[in-house]
This record gives sequence, structure tokens and C-alpha cells, in this order.
Amino acid sequence: MSVIANNAAVKNAQAFEPLIVAFCCNWCSYAGADLAGTSRLNYPANIKIIRVPCSCRVNANFVLRAFQRGADGVIIAGCHPGDCHYMTGNYYTRRRFSLLKNLLAYVGIEEARFKVDWISASEGNKFADVMNGVLEKVHKLGPNRKLRDSRWRR
Amino acid sequence: MQRVGVFICWCGTNISSTVNIDEVVAAVKNMPGVVYSKDYQYMCSEVGQNLVKDAIKEHNLTRVVVAACSPRMHESTFRKAAKAAGLNPYLLEIANIREHCSWVHKDKKAATQKAISLTKAAVAKAILNQPLIPGEVGVEQRALVIGGGIAGIQTALDIADAGYEVDLVEKTPSIGGKMAQLDKTFPTLDCSACILTPKMVDASMHDKINIYSYSEVEEVNGFVGNFEVVIKQKARSIDMEKCTGCGICLAKCPAKTALSEFEEGLSKRAAIYTPFPQAVPNVPVIDRETCTKFRTGKCGVCAKVCPTGAIDYEQKDERLNQKYGAIIVTTGYDLINLDSFGEYQYADHPDVITGLEFERLVNAAGPTAGKLVRPSDKKKPKKVVFIQCVGSRDKSERGKSYCSKICCMYTAKHAMLLRDKYPDCEAYVFYIDVRTAGKGFEEFQRRAVENYGVNYIKGMVGKIFPTGDKLKVNGVDALSGEVLEIDADMVVLASATQAKPGASDVGRMLSISTDRDNFFTEAHPKLRPVETHCAGIYLAGACQGPKDIPETVAQASAAAAKAIGILSKSKLVNNPCVSQVDESVCSGCLACTKMCPYEAITEKMVEQKVHGKIRRRRVAEVNAALCQGCGGCTVTCRPGAIDLKGFSNKQILAEVDAICQ
Amino acid sequence: MEKIKEEIRQIAREALTGKKVDIILAWEKGPLWYDSYPAFFTKEEEVDSLTWDSFCINNLSKYLLEETMADKKVGVFVKGCDALAFNQMMQDNRIRRDNVVVYGLPCPGMIDPDKVRAKRLNRGLTEVKQSGDELIFVTKDGEITVPAHEVYYDKCLYCHYPNPVVYDQLIGEKVAAETALDRSERFSQVEALEALSAEERFAYWDSQFSKCMRCFACRNVCPACSCERCTFDDDDLDILGKAREDSEDQFFHLIRAYHVVGRCIDCGECSRVCPQDIPLEKLNRKLIKDINALYGEYQAGLDPSTKAPLVTYQLEDADSFTAGEKGGKGT
Repeated sequence: MSVIANNAAVKNAQAFEPLIVAFCCNWCSYAGADLAGTSRLNYPANIKIIRVPCSCRVNANFVLRAFQRGADGVIIAGCHPGDCHYMTGNYYTRRRFSLLKNLLAYVGIEEARFKVDWISASEGNKFADVMNGVLEKVHKLGPNRKLRDSRWRR
Repeated sequence: MQRVGVFICWCGTNISSTVNIDEVVAAVKNMPGVVYSKDYQYMCSEVGQNLVKDAIKEHNLTRVVVAACSPRMHESTFRKAAKAAGLNPYLLEIANIREHCSWVHKDKKAATQKAISLTKAAVAKAILNQPLIPGEVGVEQRALVIGGGIAGIQTALDIADAGYEVDLVEKTPSIGGKMAQLDKTFPTLDCSACILTPKMVDASMHDKINIYSYSEVEEVNGFVGNFEVVIKQKARSIDMEKCTGCGICLAKCPAKTALSEFEEGLSKRAAIYTPFPQAVPNVPVIDRETCTKFRTGKCGVCAKVCPTGAIDYEQKDERLNQKYGAIIVTTGYDLINLDSFGEYQYADHPDVITGLEFERLVNAAGPTAGKLVRPSDKKKPKKVVFIQCVGSRDKSERGKSYCSKICCMYTAKHAMLLRDKYPDCEAYVFYIDVRTAGKGFEEFQRRAVENYGVNYIKGMVGKIFPTGDKLKVNGVDALSGEVLEIDADMVVLASATQAKPGASDVGRMLSISTDRDNFFTEAHPKLRPVETHCAGIYLAGACQGPKDIPETVAQASAAAAKAIGILSKSKLVNNPCVSQVDESVCSGCLACTKMCPYEAITEKMVEQKVHGKIRRRRVAEVNAALCQGCGGCTVTCRPGAIDLKGFSNKQILAEVDAICQ
Repeated sequence: MEKIKEEIRQIAREALTGKKVDIILAWEKGPLWYDSYPAFFTKEEEVDSLTWDSFCINNLSKYLLEETMADKKVGVFVKGCDALAFNQMMQDNRIRRDNVVVYGLPCPGMIDPDKVRAKRLNRGLTEVKQSGDELIFVTKDGEITVPAHEVYYDKCLYCHYPNPVVYDQLIGEKVAAETALDRSERFSQVEALEALSAEERFAYWDSQFSKCMRCFACRNVCPACSCERCTFDDDDLDILGKAREDSEDQFFHLIRAYHVVGRCIDCGECSRVCPQDIPLEKLNRKLIKDINALYGEYQAGLDPSTKAPLVTYQLEDADSFTAGEKGGKGT
């Protein structure tokens, strides 16, 4: 492979600014994101957070809508199972999105584009790690075209 | 068309050093619906808040977005400001451009773009916000305290002294808890019973406190201000009205085979018993498992000797329904089971005992009348080894990863009591660390070493070998590296404390969470230490985590103050962000009722006019007072008939769209 | 089936004349050989056109929707799969049980007209007779005997519940519940897709979804899709537009499949009625397969008193996103 081609690849990769939508539950993961902030941890600005009361508030519609509107990755973050502010909410999240994750993979969406994780209010570090991890993988995959509404301009 | 005002905070340089405020202001002006924007150094300051208030009035703003720090920080501040300016507080949204933006990004360009994007999402959401009005519910001015140990007693007394009725429910026949079993208390060495018994009597005499001993909470429904509770009063087989507590029945009962729970199994008790002489209430119970009358139908001695005819073999469990405004959980702790600690021979050798058993052995009212002797041969010990951290700070399967907190201090106390009684008896303490963080604790422990000559050895015991009438304790002095072998007469194990085995069931019943060790979780580890995530339910004592008596009592009073805060109100307001059902869309499948963690959704029948005909149909109905606003039901509902106020489907989709622009 | 047909007619007549029911919901023979379509019978004399043959594929339970039936008392005939549908609708509170008399019909399997055509058995077809495991086609070319499983619908070959799981009265003898094909085989097509790469899977589904005209036949026939107002018809929420746009087709199909998670009885009606032959059962079965693997075997419609997988949970549930734990295979 020529040097020039390599450079072009690097250039393209740099030009790609992924968009990641993260749904965070108010009590754990949103607070974890706050803690990441208070601790001045670093993660890329491509990640944008939407606050929901509980991860069980996240509808599959929202996830697909984000992909339709040009998100390159979607994250749902909630309290660890057993620690849900609403006691059992995230147990339902776990079931609902275990199935949705598999279904999305089944129709050909790359697995790395949809991530569900448990991040507590004290896990500012984990928050930054998870965000960085998703972004890194999505960056490798490149822009998402699947599920995307061709009429939508970002 | 909504008129949105956007207020952008610099937060000094916290935001403005990474986010170009001017660019955000410029971008905001082009956002749909925005008619006014303003930036300021500290939006949360009084001046900043006034900017918001004035603009709402001057520019007739119908929606407000504040781009500033986390809503967890100042959402309520700005909502109050909006309210003061005559705007419904729920028409305000926060864009988190500090914690989620300026503090986590270094690239100014990227951070500025993100701040714009987050603000845009907040504007999009705010436009769809609806004015919300919190509902009001009455408050039942009565508190329930679950658990009658020192935590429960203190809580009950404090609440009752404030003038509110308190029901104190205790599982065992008497209140008093673990503290009643203790001999002396650190760091002052005052007699446990001497300071506890007066409180127990105060509680029983208080006209606002009702003690339900030998009772359990069986069911909890409802919500803050209005809990509906079923209390099971177990059949005592004694008429509490008639019994005078004379104790003749206890003495005459021929079935003295059961091990005394109060004496930690070191002595036996009758089938009819009061756990200890100062029991409150001083009314015995019949243990139907060991009672000859109940087992064979023959006997009935107690009934014959009872001077007041208080014995009632026919008594049945009774259930009592009661309403409460607040609940305080004070269910206490237990010691871990030592079966898997075979190396210490606890299960196999009578002279290896737990700290709690030691308390009974040195207690004047205990099984040996305070004579400290070896359980095996009743001989006075000459060498006693104390082992700390048995199961505490132990990450293995059999142990607990946390520090049990009380053992360092009570071991020092035990060693002192021992040396006090028998100055010629040697005391050795094996420890990992000695932790004495507490008022007067360090001094106390130093006294054990310096004044009482207790030998502290940093290191763990590998194994205990019973040899002849000795217990050969093999350990290592970690400081010198020396292998030690001590011929002990007795070994006292500071076994780890743990949550009560039934704690997670209690948690489920109350809808409060437990941590991975089954201790109840407080709402915030620092700022809300006695509250739970369930409004109106509070925690005190060792059910929340290992703690000593002073801490427990402090927490008990704190929990009482919190409960009084509820009880003193005639009305409470709810979180208005609750689910609501669109009855015209609801199919009545009731899937939502099945997943609701609060059983806040029920079915109801409605009559609807469809194509000119009246149709009676089943729909779901949300009890706004019970709903906590998790929104789980909204996802269960396929057609979207149930939606969450404040976080509606449309609002979240609008945020997604705005973020993705 | 001929004998049973007479019995059914008799039952229908008696139910109507005896005012036991206001309506009988059954099948009626149409003008074409494969036409056995759903029909309402309210008068005794109408019952003569009631039929029961190997073309009664339509599921009548879906017609029992509370609002359709108002307060009328209905007698309905259900096959095995229809009975599962009935239970599923019961679980969703969409049928008023006390207004319905359920007549259970053990089902030998239903004939797929496409397979008949492929074998050219339809030339002047007048009657199909059953003889053990074989079917005799009475055609212009004479009587032709074929093994039944060669012309039955694929879904019938996997059917595990040919005998109704719910009924007030069972008509005829129960049939053997052994399936012609191994039941676990129904997931083989799912597994074949799972074995492909993400790109190949996307290419496959994209080609399928893009055929969709959004006629909603799949939804309308589905016993699990019984909402008063479908979310796709919610103009206010506006989650699904009307454009010919791939992303909207994809959205529709993913959400449709997702909305029947744990409620899909796997009757395969959605695929059968799809005018574009989109293999919707491959989506449904993927979800069923994952539920079975993650949360234990679950058959929707078997017992309406159970909680569907998505409205319950176990503390120790596995998930598909925490590394190292057993989860659904998704790669």
C-alpha cells in the first residue's frame, strides 16, 4: 500500500466525527457522567447525553430514531442491576435491550454501535471509559448508513 | 408558538474557558422558538436568577432554558426562580454544559459545538414541556418503627417526644436488641443494661408509643404519608392483659431443653420464657416447638400455676392493619455463621467463642453469673487469645469484604474486662489493623495496651489445634516474622457482622434497595445518610451498615427528625413527573400493571362513546400518589397510551432529533 | 374432515337456534378451490355454507376483538394455532371470555395453495380427501395421492400445538402432536442468518425490508397486534412517516417485531399474508430463540395467566451486553 493512500485513509478517519447519543438514567449514570465532569476526566465531545429518569424509560423507538437521524452509535446507561433507584426498573431494561441488541445485530447493525452498560453514580471513571470505548470502536467502523434516513441532514 | 428564553452561564471560567459563550449565544438566537437569550458569569447567583425572573416578565417568556451546570445541581434553584416570576417551574429545562461538556472536553471548538447541541436539545424539549402541578396528599400522623433494638427505641422515643404516635414492632418477645446482650460498652465501660433498660422502660411507659413485641411486619403498601401496613402479632399463648410478669410459670415449666437465644446458646431456657429478666414487655411467650403441652397435649403446668389465668393455649396469630405517615427501618444486624471457618474450631470446641458469647460470659446476669470460666470445664482461663477480623475484610467467599467496625473496640474492651477480673490471666489480640476512629476510641485502646498489659500482635492466626485441655493457637507476628504458638485456654473470635438474613425480603416489601452485602442503601452516602430512595422510609442503625452504639443512636435521632419532618406536615406534594394514561388509546392489556415497581397502576372500567355507541371497556389508571416516575410502563405500552409527564415520548424524540441536527 | 364438517354445522345450528350464541364465527367456502374464508353466521339456514377443510388457514380468534364483537355472544371455531392466538388475546385482555364459546378443532395441517400449484394438483380441483398421512386430490386428471406433508404449509410441519390448548368443547379426535419436522429446526433459518457477517445480514434484510409497501397486513392479521390504536398510526407522535424510504421500512419492521416480543405465538400468519413475501417469521423466531436461550423456553399463548417475558425478570437474568457472561448470540 502506498504512503499516499495511507495518508488519505488517515485523513478520512479524521474527517469522520461520529455522533453518539447516550441515554443516561438520572440517578446513576447521569450522576456518573456528572462525576466524570467534576473529576475533570476526558472523553470526546461526540458523545451527547439525554437524561431519562430510569434506563427503563428508554424506548426501542428512541434508539432507532437516533440511528435514523444520523447517530453512529447509541448508548443506554443505567444503574447496576440491583441498585435501581426504582428498585426493579433496570431488570426490565436488561431484558428489553438484551433482545433489541441481538435483533439489531441480526439485521446487520454492527454490534459496537449499540451499547448498554451499567454505570453507577460513583463510577465517573467507568463512564469515561465506556464512552471512550464506544467511540473508539465506532470510529473504526466509520459512519453509520444503516437505518439512517436519507432525507435527514446532520 | 412558545416564546423561549435561553440563559447561558459562564460559571466563572468553568464553562467559559472551554466553551465559546459568544458562539453559543449567536447559535441560540437561530434556534426555533427562541426569542431571548442572555449570558452571565454566574447564573445561579442572585443577580443571575434575577436576570431570569426579569426576562420572563419583560419578554413574556413561556419556556426557559438555562445552559449551565448539571440539573442535579441547580434545576431546583432555577425552577424556584421561574416560579417566582409566575412561570410554572416545570416549563424550565437545563442544558448541562458544565459537567457534561466544558469539564470533560479540552478542544474548545468541539466543546462549543456540543454546548450548542445540548442547548438545542433542551430548547426542543422545553417547547414541548407542559405546566405540571404537583398533587397533594394528606399525611397519617403516625410512625412505624421496625426493629426494637437501641436504634428503634431511640427513634421511637424521639418521635413520640415530638408528639406523634409511634408503633414499635419487634420480632422477638422483648425489645432491647443486641445491646441488651452486651455487658459493658466502649469507650466508657459503662454497663450496657444500666443505660439501655431505662430507655426500654421509657418506651414502654410512653403514652405515644405502642410496642408490638413478638410481631412482624407482613405487608407494606402505599406511599409517603400514607403507608398501609399489616402487622402480624404472633400467638404468644399468654394474655398480655392478665399477665403480671410474676415469673412463676418460668420456674415451674418442666421443659427446660431449649437453648437460650439471649444467652447465645450458653444456657438453657424453659419452653415458656422471657428472654431476659428486664424484658420489655415483661410477659413471657410459649415456644410451641419445645412446649410439652403443644407437642404432646399433656402438661399444662404453666396454666395451673399461673395466678391470674393468663395462659391461653388457644391463642392465634393476629393481624393488624394500620396506616403510617413514615416508616423507620431499624432491623439491626447479625453475626456471620462460622461453620466455614474450620481452622478456628468454633463449631468443634466449646472454648472457642464469639465476642457476643464473651459478653454473656462476663455478664453478672449471664449463664455463669458473671464468673468468667471456660465453657468446657468451668475452669478459670489463664491465657486468652482474641482474634480480630474473623470474616471481616475478607474478600473470599466465606467472609465479608467490609470492616465490621465494632470489633477493634470491643476486643480491646474484652481484653480489659478479662485483665480486670483476672490480672494474672494473659490476653493476646491478633489483628490486621487496629482501627480506633471515634471519640475517645484511640485513648481507650491505648489503655488496653498500656494500662492493662494486653498483648497486641499484628498478624493472623493460621490454625487452632485443640491439644489436651489447651487450644494451641498458631499464628504469625507479621512485624517480626516470628511464628507464634500460644497455648490458650480460651479463644474469642471477633466474627464479622452481617445484614440480617431476611434483609433483602424486608427491602423488597418496603421497596427499598439493599447493597451487595444486603445492607439497606441510603439515598446518598454523604448528604442523605438516613433516607432511602423511597420517600418516607428512613434507616437507622446497623441495618444500613456496621456501626457502633453512639453512631446508631445519632442516626436514630436523625431518622426520627426526618420522620417528624413528614409527620408535622398536614399535606405533602408529589413529584408531578408521573405517568398518565390516554384512555382513548389504552387497550386495557394491563402489561404496565405487571411491571410497575410500585403497583401504582390498576385497572378501571370506563364508558366511552365509540361510533355513537357506549362501550364499556377496561383501561389502566395511574395512581399519581404512588407513581414514582420511572417511566418503565411507557415502554411496556406498545401504542404509547401511557406516557410520562416531564419525559414524554415526544419530548425525548425531540431531544434526539435536536441532538442529531 | 368431511365428517367433522357435518358435526360443526350441526353444532352451529343448535347454538344459533338455541340462542346459545348470537353469532357463529367459522369458515365459508368461496368460489375458488383454496377459498375457505372467515364468515359470520347469524341464522340457522346460513350454516349450510359453513365449511371445514384443509384450506381453513385463517385464524378466527383475531375477529373476537372486544370492540368488534361489542356485547354479542359468539361461538368460534379454533384450530391449534388459533387457540394459542385466543389465549394471547386473552392475556392482553382483548377478548371477553364469558362472551365466547370456544369450539376446539384438532387440526391435521393446512394446505399451502402455492405447493398445490407447484405440483399442478389444482387442475380442475374439486375436492381434497384425507386418507391417513396422505391427501387425495380429486382433479380433472383424476385422483392424485400425495403425502400430506408435501403440500401442508411449512409452519404446519413445525406445529407443536395442533390440538387446541383452550376450548369449551372439543370436536373430533385429538391428532398426534408429533411434528413432521424437528421443532428446533424452526430456528435453523435464523441460525443460518446469524452465521453470516453483519454486512451480509444487512444486505439480506435490506433487500427484504425494501420490498415492504407498508400495507400493514402483517399487523392486521397478528393476534399479538391488537392495540386500540397502533403506535404506527399515531400521527401526533409521528414515529413512522408515509414515505418510500428504506429507513422507515426498517423502522417499521424492527419495531413491529419488537412489539410482539414474548407475545408472538409463532403462527406465521404475518409471513403468509405478506404480499411481498417478506420472511417476517425469521424476525419473530430470532426473538423467540433469544428468549428461550436467555430466559428459558416460553411459548406465548399457552397459558394466559403467565407473565410474558418482557413484563417480568429474574434477579440472575443473563444479558447480551456484559462481556464474558452468557448472552444471546448476536454477532
